[in-house]
Amino acid sequence: MTRTDEGKQREGFEPKIVGFLCNWCSYAGADKAGLSQTPYPPNVRVIKVMCSGRVDPQFVLQAYKKGVDGVLILARHFGDCHYKEGNFRATQRHRMLLRLLKQQGIEAERCRFDYVSAGEGEKFVQVITEMTDTIKRLGPLRRKSLSPIDRKGAHHGY
Amino acid sequence: MKIGVYFCKCGTNVADKIDPEKVQKKALDFPGVAYCKTSEYLCSEEGKTFLVKDLLDEKPDRVVIAACSPRDYEKTFRECLSSAAINPYLMQMVNVREQVAWVTQDPAEAAKKATAHIRGAVARVGHQAPLEGRELDINPDVLVVGGGPAGLKAALAVARSGRKAVLVEKLPVLGGMPVLFEDLFPNLECAPCMLEPVLAEILQEKQVEILTLSEVQEVVGYCGNFQVKIRQSPRYVDTLKCIGCGECINPCPQSTANKLNFGLNESKAISFVLTGGLPNIPAIDFGACQRSQAEDCQLCKAACPVDGAIVFDDQEKTLERSVGAIILAVGSSLYDCTNFPALAYGKIPNVYNSLEFERLLSATGPTGGKLVGRDGKPPERVAIVHCVGSLDSKHQAYCSGVCCQYAFKFNQLVKRKLPEARVTHLHRELVTPGKEEFALFERATANSNATFIRYQDLADIEVVGKDGSSEVQYKEASGESGKIHADMVVLCPAVVPSKTAKALAVLCEVPQDKFGFLEELHGRADTAQSKIKGIYLAGGCQGPKDIQASMNQGMAAAGHVLSQLPAGKKLQIDPVVASVNEEVCSGCRVCGSVCPYKAIGFDAEREVSIVNSVLCHGCGTCVAACPSGALDGYHFTREQILAELEEVLQ
Repeated sequence: MTRTDEGKQREGFEPKIVGFLCNWCSYAGADKAGLSQTPYPPNVRVIKVMCSGRVDPQFVLQAYKKGVDGVLILARHFGDCHYKEGNFRATQRHRMLLRLLKQQGIEAERCRFDYVSAGEGEKFVQVITEMTDTIKRLGPLRRKSLSPIDRKGAHHGY
Repeated sequence: MKIGVYFCKCGTNVADKIDPEKVQKKALDFPGVAYCKTSEYLCSEEGKTFLVKDLLDEKPDRVVIAACSPRDYEKTFRECLSSAAINPYLMQMVNVREQVAWVTQDPAEAAKKATAHIRGAVARVGHQAPLEGRELDINPDVLVVGGGPAGLKAALAVARSGRKAVLVEKLPVLGGMPVLFEDLFPNLECAPCMLEPVLAEILQEKQVEILTLSEVQEVVGYCGNFQVKIRQSPRYVDTLKCIGCGECINPCPQSTANKLNFGLNESKAISFVLTGGLPNIPAIDFGACQRSQAEDCQLCKAACPVDGAIVFDDQEKTLERSVGAIILAVGSSLYDCTNFPALAYGKIPNVYNSLEFERLLSATGPTGGKLVGRDGKPPERVAIVHCVGSLDSKHQAYCSGVCCQYAFKFNQLVKRKLPEARVTHLHRELVTPGKEEFALFERATANSNATFIRYQDLADIEVVGKDGSSEVQYKEASGESGKIHADMVVLCPAVVPSKTAKALAVLCEVPQDKFGFLEELHGRADTAQSKIKGIYLAGGCQGPKDIQASMNQGMAAAGHVLSQLPAGKKLQIDPVVASVNEEVCSGCRVCGSVCPYKAIGFDAEREVSIVNSVLCHGCGTCVAACPSGALDGYHFTREQILAELEEVLQ
């Protein structure tokens, strides 16, 4: 049985998703969605960072370890980053993460990088809805041994 | 640790979706939570009074406020904490309105999501530390580099506010590129009439120190406190003593190519450089002066009615100035037309670039305003080639924005000077936006002696010499080929960043955009600020611009300085910045390479990176990049984010 079939069978599965949102753009985009009072699935837990460039790949790995089924990293559109090029670094790290996740047997769709600007409330709702649907389809993440992380200590993220 | 939780119902906005009692009960179970109180409207005057009083009574170690978006009221609630003598950074907000109540259909799900986020915030806030902003003294003086329209307006605005401006200009005269123009688009206004009042005011303004023949050599320091070294070349004329009578000029036996007329005529070794140029003080071009050949010529000095105004032993000086802010306004250049060999610029004498043509049209120019070619004959046909390098992915991909407008100005000026002469515009696109500028197009097309030929690719145009004159061969956008005889060809080159701008970018560590212009902080909201705090941009160095836009940007840059660095006040340094744990830092310098603000320096002796908290914007890109975990970002530490992450998922 493929993972997809397995997912379809899991009626009532509510995925846990964590979303890292940059303060100036994507977080503001989420607020914009709120202002328009468009409902979207409640599955995403938002962690605010000042810039998507702050998203340490270790945070993402730790999220999987702690039980999420999917991770979203949302940033401002390319060239528009409040911090100039933080989102560019974030895309580089996301590419690296996907390689790492592949080694761990985690599907690329479980780690989505996308652009949501401060005005794009609708896009935010769309991304959250799509992500929730995607993870519902994939089913719960089957956790293998993920590398441990020390909150204070050294790690290897670029 | 005593953590206090406040839950704002926001009237029915939150309470209708999230049952406050349910959340309250749950929150009391979270580790460290001593109490959880609700309020109808925490941001109202009543709510704030309650909050401050309650904080004073309860004296919590940490505070969590579940309410609206922190983008709305975080500042307000931080102030409440300060009023209750609690450090404002010991509070964490949970956005239960915009990101939960308003967007979740099922009340049970909404309560669950809100509770999870409060749990995360409770865990996070325990790791938050008290932070204090720093204050720095500001040097009120301002350095303005470039004496063109943008720099002049900026320096004047600074001076009018009572602060000192140091105005550095490379040439012996002020005014920038417009001193080369006689008439301005769109309405053919007199350029000197526009410029001279501004120049007269600045020359009289005691708060502006004008340094001509000067260039910035070194910039150290940071926002609020820069130390600048300026190299001033000798003028050989004392600017305080000279009365500008010009008696010294005629007796001079030596002549040299006039640089401001692009070598189209000669001027004496001692000259005003530009007729009518201000300040009205001559300068000696020492390379052309007889004294440079070890001859003791004193003719200019002998003719000078003022004792000591001519200083043969004038020396290059290095001046040091301390300033709090720097406005870069060094203008732009024209793209080198020799990049297009087929256009024969520099080979066929009657092919001019647009600035050279401006001089031919000017009464202070090499021909005294007579429109004649190098052979002294007025042209029968002038061909104007637009988009020489602009809108061309092989050269400059952007539209330079000013060329069509001055090309249409040329059309009108040729008509005024030589009513019989024909004008041919060879163009790709025609761009004249603006409430007055569009009339240029109407006037140019109304000229019955003007023809318009649209080409598709500049490579389809070739200028060839013919019978001592020239012929322009072209292929139209329609594919049809043709040729015209033209005794004068004017090229409208792309506006490009100047060498001076590029050199300054390196000196000031100001980033350049993909075209080489000095990069603005934000393309729409903040074009007069650079990415480096305390360094501002105005005029052509930030992107191609006309005089109107340059002057406006000069004022905008001065406005930023006056509002962001007010004299007598201290510079507030935000505590949300990165910091280096020097014990752990391996000195690999990855952080410095990813910092968008050049805020990370390196201590070579101790081999550790150092964050300059004045320059740091607190984005945290370096923190995520540090391979040894030596960097952390205040208020967004690894511990805080991981604590929130783990608990929010429970």
